[in-house]
Amino acid sequence: MSCNEKYIKRMHDYLDGDISAEDESLLRRHLEDCEDCQKHFHELNRTITLIRSAERMEAPVGFTENVMRKLPTEKKSVKYKR
Amino acid sequence: MEQFIKKKIIQVKKGDQSAFSDVVAFYQDKIYQHCYRMLGNRHEAEDMAQEAFIRAFVNIDSFDENRKFSTWLYRIATNLTIDRMRKRKPDYHLDAEIKGTEGLDMYSQLASTERLPGEEVESRDLQRYIHHEISQLPSKYRSIIMLRYLEEFSLKEISEILDVPLGTVKTRIHRGREALRKRLRHV
Repeated sequence: MSCNEKYIKRMHDYLDGDISAEDESLLRRHLEDCEDCQKHFHELNRTITLIRSAERMEAPVGFTENVMRKLPTEKKSVKYKR
Repeated sequence: MEQFIKKKIIQVKKGDQSAFSDVVAFYQDKIYQHCYRMLGNRHEAEDMAQEAFIRAFVNIDSFDENRKFSTWLYRIATNLTIDRMRKRKPDYHLDAEIKGTEGLDMYSQLASTERLPGEEVESRDLQRYIHHEISQLPSKYRSIIMLRYLEEFSLKEISEILDVPLGTVKTRIHRGREALRKRLRHV
């Protein structure tokens, strides 16, 4: 299992776009041979796809209006001075 | 869009308060969602998101418009949510509400997901489940995973938003991905 850790680190570096060409080709070659790592890499990629599909939310109705109402008034006066 | 925001910020700096409403309208869903995912509570999320915009407005003169506004705004919002989490009663665990009954209520009140494009994951239950699994991560991993994959910031930008070294961002994103891989592998 400890042999894989080096490759798992490389997988993460790859996912962050932070991997040297040499390490990337080492990773590629290893993935061709190692089923465990293949599975791990596949799961990581799938996890990212899943994260991206998490439920999206919208701000409550009237959010912008509420913020605008709460802005401090001294700033407002700048407008009238101009 | 950055260009549009930049123009509005310059107007706000010149004293045109109304230009700020375009900025709020543009970012409101993103910032609310970010606060919500950090806090797991709708009321707190709304309070903190509003506060983030108010602080951005009050401190607008200190914002350098040659930089990316969203990074600056997320930084304000993230700091507010972290402060809020610290101020909670010690026995109020971050994830308590999500595990409890109010969590269920919260899920039933989430906004419509119709604007989500037809991605690989189409079931709304699954989307909720993923949201829930993300919310269970420790906050230091959660914030980074969210900023990276839900807000699409670069690692460098995340390091600026959270004010942590790039190396720490990398370590945390690795751990966050591994934690979620384990949680989501059976999906």
